[in-house]
Amino acid sequence: MRPDGPLKLAGEVRDLQIVDADGVHCGIADDLEFEGEPGRPLRVRSILVGPGACERRLSGWLAALVRRIFGDSVVRVPWNEVKHITGRITLKRSGTVYGLLKTEERFAAFVKRIPFA
Amino acid sequence: MTDLIEITLGIMTAMGGFVDVSELVFTAQAGARFLYALIWVIVLGTLIITVFGEMSGRVAAISKQPLFNLMRQRLGLQFGLLVLVAASLVNLITCAAEIGGLGIILHLGLGLPYRLATSLATLALILVVWLLPFKAIERSFGLLGLFMISFIAAAAAVHPPWNEVVTGLIPNLPAHISGHELVTYAYFIVAIISAVVFPYETYFYSAGAIEEHWSRKDLAVNRLTTIVGFSLGSLLAISILINAAVLFAPRHIDPQLVGSSAMQVAIPFGKIGLAFALLGMFFAIAGAAIETCLCVAYGPCQFFGWKWGRYVRPSESPRFTLIWLGSFALANLIVLTGIEPLTLVEYVVVSAILVIPFSYLPLLLVANDRKYMGEHVNGKLANVLGLGSFAIVVVAAIAALPLYFLTSGGQQ
Repeated sequence: MRPDGPLKLAGEVRDLQIVDADGVHCGIADDLEFEGEPGRPLRVRSILVGPGACERRLSGWLAALVRRIFGDSVVRVPWNEVKHITGRITLKRSGTVYGLLKTEERFAAFVKRIPFA
Repeated sequence: MTDLIEITLGIMTAMGGFVDVSELVFTAQAGARFLYALIWVIVLGTLIITVFGEMSGRVAAISKQPLFNLMRQRLGLQFGLLVLVAASLVNLITCAAEIGGLGIILHLGLGLPYRLATSLATLALILVVWLLPFKAIERSFGLLGLFMISFIAAAAAVHPPWNEVVTGLIPNLPAHISGHELVTYAYFIVAIISAVVFPYETYFYSAGAIEEHWSRKDLAVNRLTTIVGFSLGSLLAISILINAAVLFAPRHIDPQLVGSSAMQVAIPFGKIGLAFALLGMFFAIAGAAIETCLCVAYGPCQFFGWKWGRYVRPSESPRFTLIWLGSFALANLIVLTGIEPLTLVEYVVVSAILVIPFSYLPLLLVANDRKYMGEHVNGKLANVLGLGSFAIVVVAAIAALPLYFLTSGGQQ
């Protein structure tokens, strides 16, 4: 699959694991954002990552629960930053550049305080 | 030569890690109640776990997708999330049952009070996972679990009627069975399938394959490890059933406690046998406790795409680390409430079978998707075995709850 080729977006891109250029896990493609206008081809603008994007796809109580536990933050990764798509989406640069690793870094700072971590 | 050693170690690890507390309890009870009539169910369960184990290793090697990610992709976000919650609960209760089993073994072996024993065991497991490289943990616990081979030696030593053992390999109904006993027999079929096909084994195997960066060249090893390793492991389970049929059934002993299984080796081999049995059970159950606890952490990390991994330092996959730490603590808290390990084991087998079809369906779908699997897509044989296995676990899942209530968890 190529990012500039025809894709079944819902089935082939959404819910795939995202890894950055260093092979680090950076989240899941929770949803996609499009751009376009009537009479013009629809194009993917960005991949949406985070509980805010995930929550929109869930029904009432489950969405409220996810929002309550995880918040509603969303990170946008420009589509042209996608290097290739296989069973996972590989980005061109480090996940830190897109702000995808902020939460992970917060937790890492906490775990590092434990001896031998 | 190094490859050969690695393959052998992999197979031995799969064998040593095959038996856990639920199999110990249910196969022993099955032998004591129905003699050799349920051996075929262990064989059937082994076939199912081999089929899905091989498939999960192949999918991990080719598509690089972990199982909980597949659940989300193939079952949809909403339903996948519900399955994730259910599977995590099952893994947590399984971990609690394993810790309860460890508590009983330490109580029997060292005379420690049960609650102190479970807490010490939990602490020891946390330290082991925190401090040691994972490959060393997996290999050492798997290989030390091979003390369980003493159960196979015991099965040879107690001279079972081999013609009846062989007859038990074929699906059958025990002679002169009453209507109510028939329902209990059906419950044991479901419980043994569930105990042998536990979903955590596939989650764990698949995660390991991804972390070890398996590729096409590892497919032969994957096939060999699952077929040979799980088959040898099932010999252990069959031996426990045979020993129970020879030693417990004539004395009308219902081996409901984990510790009663140790007597199977103690009776023919004395104190040395008892020590071997307790050591084997301890390491097999401790290995299962670690695997189930890590599986609780794999679930959300793979589902939400967070960093996960047992081959990296704890601080390199912080959410994964915090979840498994919390899971060990929660599992021990469940045990400390005073709930009987046998009750936990019963909950585990009934709830696990309900989750199994939803764990295996996404696997079956991806293994059939040529876009992801290319030339390694399921062939005819894999599909016949896969669909047949899937149909069996679906039927078992549908029957599980009614049979559980009708028989009060096999007690009637």
